Amino acid sequence: MLEVHGLTRRFGDRVAVDDVSFTVPTGTTVGFVGANGAGKTTTMRMIMGLLAPTAGEVLWNGRPATDADRRGFGYMPEERGLYPKQPILTQLVYLGELRGMPAADARSEATELLTALGLGERTKDKLEKLSLGNQQRVQIAASLMADPSMLVLDEPFSGLDPIAVDAMSAMLQQRTASGIPVLFSSHQLDLVDRLCDALVILSQGRVVAAGTREELIAMGTTRHRMVLDSDAGWLRDMRGITVDDVHGNAATFTLDAAGVENDLLAEAIRRGKVLEFAPLRPTLSEIYRKVTGQ
Amino acid sequence: MSTPQQHTEHQRRWSQPKNAWGIVMRREIFAKLTDKAFLSGTILTLALIIGATALGIFAGNRGTRATIAVTTDQAAAVVRTTDQMQKATSDKNSFTVEQVASEEAARKAVSEGDADAWLRQQDGAWTLVFNKKSTPEVTSAISQAVQTQLMGELGAKAGMKPEQLTRAGTVQTELVDGGTDKALLTMIATFAFSILFFMSSLTFGMQIAGSVVEEKSSRIVEIISAAIPVRQLLAGKVIGNTLMALGQMALFAIAGLVGLSFTPYKDMLPAVGAAVVWFLVYFIAGFLALACVWAVAGALASRQEDLQSTTTPLTMILTLVYMAGFFASGTLAKVLSFVPVISSVLMPARLVAGDASWWELVVGLLLNLAFAVVTVLIGERIYRRALLQTQGVISYRQALKLTD
Repeated sequence: MLEVHGLTRRFGDRVAVDDVSFTVPTGTTVGFVGANGAGKTTTMRMIMGLLAPTAGEVLWNGRPATDADRRGFGYMPEERGLYPKQPILTQLVYLGELRGMPAADARSEATELLTALGLGERTKDKLEKLSLGNQQRVQIAASLMADPSMLVLDEPFSGLDPIAVDAMSAMLQQRTASGIPVLFSSHQLDLVDRLCDALVILSQGRVVAAGTREELIAMGTTRHRMVLDSDAGWLRDMRGITVDDVHGNAATFTLDAAGVENDLLAEAIRRGKVLEFAPLRPTLSEIYRKVTGQ
Repeated sequence: MSTPQQHTEHQRRWSQPKNAWGIVMRREIFAKLTDKAFLSGTILTLALIIGATALGIFAGNRGTRATIAVTTDQAAAVVRTTDQMQKATSDKNSFTVEQVASEEAARKAVSEGDADAWLRQQDGAWTLVFNKKSTPEVTSAISQAVQTQLMGELGAKAGMKPEQLTRAGTVQTELVDGGTDKALLTMIATFAFSILFFMSSLTFGMQIAGSVVEEKSSRIVEIISAAIPVRQLLAGKVIGNTLMALGQMALFAIAGLVGLSFTPYKDMLPAVGAAVVWFLVYFIAGFLALACVWAVAGALASRQEDLQSTTTPLTMILTLVYMAGFFASGTLAKVLSFVPVISSVLMPARLVAGDASWWELVVGLLLNLAFAVVTVLIGERIYRRALLQTQGVISYRQALKLTD
């Protein structure tokens, strides 16, 4: 399990990451969401130990993460990094060796990964000869080499076609199921929604919302809608709610306190038929826009 | 969306390699060995060395060979003296006596090509009679012998023993010839050391800088430095390239020495051989002293195009060393031969010249190594900090202020 506590990084006067805390539990995928410049990459670099935090700490399984812990993490940097002029298999083997694998094991694992990502025929090709989408797949394979204990992936899906996204997400889910925590950043909310167990939303260096999809939605759900068989104007006088809008027999309103639902419903039934009464569940992107102030 | 389940902690099968620098080193060497430009450059240089040596062998093989027709015993004695004296310079030289009965026969022998010249004694004067064209080497060799012999005769009259005379004659020749040879050889060796040091340092230094910026600009350095300590990455690069540079240099040196053994200078082989070994040792120290600075030059750049500006201080230093090899002499050369990096050229050169004692060699080497330690320590720090700075070129001044 990875925990981040009060992580802060300043570059001169600019605070890039401001008191960021969140947890990536074992066997879960956490999506790291935020606009460009929100501080995702800086946070990930601090997690990987590439950048020293100004304040705060990174915990691995309950104790401060050591260099040795971090060397077990699979990492995919934001701007893709591999040797353009080297055959893809050779460089995966090299990275595998640097992470402690014997050459023969590294070779068979790299071949396996490339085959699984649909590049089995092209292992001897130089990276630069591959299309951008395929280069991306090699990059993913690089982060999965040598049995990582955690995955830190910075925008792993950008530039991937839908088929590659599916292949990639299947691989990630398989890794998560094998018990490793996965943290990935993305600005594609739908993907994050589909793949992640939990989200951390970052804005201007701060965590503005965090939790599972249900938690975030529950947190963002403050409005209800009621449809009656007669005019709904009386709701304006009802205590305990703030009405946003009444339109004929339909109204939307915010509950001022928990528990007023029952009184409200009883009153409505007394007055006639209740055709609809439901919370207005926001979409993730609505929540995202709300918490990031966009 | 699935709810998080309880998972057991994942245990990695692999742990951090102990010899990460060795893996990096292997990649550096392999990358160089499969680089066509590097291979063709090495082969071309080797061909140049072999070619130059072959020329030397050709020149050395020529020697001066002449058959001299004589009619008198006195003339025969002069030719024999000539032969002895010239053989002392090179065993490729030889002067053979062709005893003929008469002056007629002598003239005939020369005109028909049986003899190269006729040494004629007439009225107490010597004349060399050639066929169509005189040969200056033969004339000067015979003249020398005549003078030596004359001096001998005068000496004998003055009561000097033949041994004394021989010594008197030969000592003078050896001083003149030997001295000239050595100066020439020292000059050639110094130039060779200068050129080799400049060429090899530039090639492999640029290789280090290029490899650093390649990793930096492609961002693979983020993956590598997350996987292994940056120090190991730097060590692998520096050691790999130093080994390659040393290997290439040793190859050139062996080619040169083997070539030398076929030239008239082969007697100098032990002295030159020792100097070459020292040169290789000094080369390692001199190269190491700059290796981490080359890595820094790479780390300060963001793209290959930036290298030209970030490596300028290094190319300037190398040019200075190169110039020192060609132009420094006397006391200046002596002082500079203790200055790190410059010593890599000047100290072995002084050894060839024979004016460097063993302690000077050791002191020069230690100074060089001490300097290398300093540049490695500072270089490693800047390298580590500049690696992740990807916005354009960083100046050396800014680099010193960088933090982790």
